[in-house]
Amino acid sequence: MRDITLSQAVNEALAEEMRRDETVFIIGEDVAEAGTPFKVLSGLVEEFGTERVVDTPISEPGFMGLAVGAALTGTRPVVDLMFGDFIYLIMDQLCNQAAKAYYMSGGKLNVPLVLRTNLGATRRSAAQHSQSLHALVAHIPGLKVAMPSSAYEAKGLMKTAIRDDNPVVIFEDKLMYNDKAPVPEEEFLIPFGEANIKREGADITLIGTSSMVQVCEAAAEILAKEGIEAEVIDPRTIVPLDEATLLKSAKKTSRVIVVDEGHQSFGITGEIASRINEKAFYHLDAPALRMGAMDVPVPFSPALEDITVPTPEAVAENARKLMSGEMIHAA
Amino acid sequence: MPHEVIMPALGMAQDTGKIVSWLKSSGDAVKSGDALFEVETDKATMEVEAPADGYLTDVQADAGAEVPVGNVIALISDSAEDSGTLAKAAPADTASDTPAEPATQTAALPDGAEVIMPALGMAQDTGLIVAWHKGLGDAVASGDILFEVETDKSTMEVEAGQDGFVAALLADAGEEAPVGDVIAIISTDKPDAPVQRSIADAASPKAVAPEKTEAQADEPESAKPTATPTKAAAPKPAPAAKPRADGRILASPKARRLALEQGLDLNRLVEAGHPQPYHASDIEVLKALPTAPAAGTATAQSRRLTADLPHDGFAAFAAWAADTAGLKDAPALLAGLAGASLEGDHAIVAIETFGQTRAFAVPAGPLGAITPADDGAAPDLTLRDLRLSHISTVDLGAEDTPVLTLARAGDGLSITLECAAHHLTAREATGLLSEFAGRMEQPLRHLL
Repeated sequence: MRDITLSQAVNEALAEEMRRDETVFIIGEDVAEAGTPFKVLSGLVEEFGTERVVDTPISEPGFMGLAVGAALTGTRPVVDLMFGDFIYLIMDQLCNQAAKAYYMSGGKLNVPLVLRTNLGATRRSAAQHSQSLHALVAHIPGLKVAMPSSAYEAKGLMKTAIRDDNPVVIFEDKLMYNDKAPVPEEEFLIPFGEANIKREGADITLIGTSSMVQVCEAAAEILAKEGIEAEVIDPRTIVPLDEATLLKSAKKTSRVIVVDEGHQSFGITGEIASRINEKAFYHLDAPALRMGAMDVPVPFSPALEDITVPTPEAVAENARKLMSGEMIHAA
Repeated sequence: MPHEVIMPALGMAQDTGKIVSWLKSSGDAVKSGDALFEVETDKATMEVEAPADGYLTDVQADAGAEVPVGNVIALISDSAEDSGTLAKAAPADTASDTPAEPATQTAALPDGAEVIMPALGMAQDTGLIVAWHKGLGDAVASGDILFEVETDKSTMEVEAGQDGFVAALLADAGEEAPVGDVIAIISTDKPDAPVQRSIADAASPKAVAPEKTEAQADEPESAKPTATPTKAAAPKPAPAAKPRADGRILASPKARRLALEQGLDLNRLVEAGHPQPYHASDIEVLKALPTAPAAGTATAQSRRLTADLPHDGFAAFAAWAADTAGLKDAPALLAGLAGASLEGDHAIVAIETFGQTRAFAVPAGPLGAITPADDGAAPDLTLRDLRLSHISTVDLGAEDTPVLTLARAGDGLSITLECAAHHLTAREATGLLSEFAGRMEQPLRHLL
């Protein structure tokens, strides 16, 4: 197996699916010659032409609506939304149209659309280009939400998303585009709703999404040196959520921390922690803890920005508190 | 109105700054924006500017001094003369400004912000004042360390939290103060009559210690200063040996489930003084506890009888009672069946289900007359309902009251009676169990 970057993995997934199915096309700002600001799509316009790699003006609601229409009429658009923060601009097209067409048409219409976008702070991009807004769309029935944690997941989940007959939103962490991971050369898909146990442990479960999986793994390393064996789980898709795997681990370790880069309040961490508290209550030796990003606009100051997101040290510190039986009321 | 020059916070984790050099001298005329002094932190050296036009006066710290962030280190005044409004608060000299003679014990307390003994730990009732870092009448800034406090876990420095003057010190170093009690007062203006007392003096607490605990009030000796601060470095304080006042035990859901499944009583951990909250690991401690002394002597004379029923008639009966008689509280019905099986006219029956206990007063008469028992009424009989658990047999030994344990046995029911020999004679025990077993098999018989 070779190591490739997350960018290359996404690029490969798109190229393979575009070769396999000629109804797949890419649309968005700076997707053709520019290959996106993150160079994820470099080379695709050369192979597939401007008919299938479509540059648009700066007009998110416009091209998103266009893509929903195209999906309703038999194609499989992959919409490139340059920053996850711009999702506010396309809420109606995504949440009112794409998410509801299948239900409201009694199954006669479907929207096989993929929205590719990103999340993640600490890139010094300030408050309007650093948000992690996956909780907004995970809240809407009818949308699937995938959160790849490495190049391997980025490729496997993207291919599954393109083949899905209903809308899928994929959030890539914009800080991970150059991170390498082993990715098989032969074709593979990662099914939705199957969590990945990244590391086994008996003492505490760390559930992380996207780049927070790495944070959890680093925390597990710290804890291992202190004799605490942490289990690290990557749900890979938050909708659908592999509740069974999470609950099984929670029952095994009886302590859980959920780590995610979205704002902590009303977010993914709260949803997952709540399900565990509800469904594994009598197996828990401590409350399931949430660790999200601070409930503040992402600061531009690097020193401030860095303290708004969960760190391995902070996760390890909370893990120690849970292990020692200290009563925690806030993370 | 003079402007204060304070030690600025230049870094994220900066507590103090070192004055490298003064760029202006006391009495110099300064303009807003002039560099006054250079300060060095762990990260950088910076010049600090004057906040206003005026004269630099009342310089509190010399070059080379480490000054806590937020401390006033000089004033920018309208005239070149020192105003004297700042007490010397530089680190080196805390006692230079001797206050007026402390007022008598009974004097009313001065006005000002109250400083209380903080709660530094979850289960902390009191804190030992290791040392006061400010003296009576001293000027303090909000971030100044006012005193050091020692708990069972650690020693910590506590900041004043207020700018002003120490107007009252209400506990001596070495004394233990209840959490929440006022131990000092910081006034805005320099106090005319500062008050100093110790907790030991304050036999009549007045308004100073509204939350003084009974133990403290009853036993002033215990509040006497301890010899040295090292005393509390002992591994653990004597934990509260009594259950919490509200009777609830703090335990994790898992610990409760394990205790229930294994037929263990978390109360025994409370009685043993094991600190709460309880977690799964404390169940091991509970299992390792020696059996209660009373039970220990009575083990040889304890009684254990078991009855097996092919059929549990209670659920159907409870449904019938709810439908036809409006008796919807199944545990109360269960208590009724058990109470009626005891000899006597009136019984208190405690029903233990899933770690919760409810006590009922069961009079002789209709099931509708059963009421919740008064708080603190000692039960005559305990009924432990384990039908929803996986436990099939119990052998827990005698407890304070006779205990009937219900467990599932296939489609039927297994009932175990355990008691000490002095609770019930052999005849009474067999009578109770067979009566109760009969009632559980055919509850309607009870009504006849």
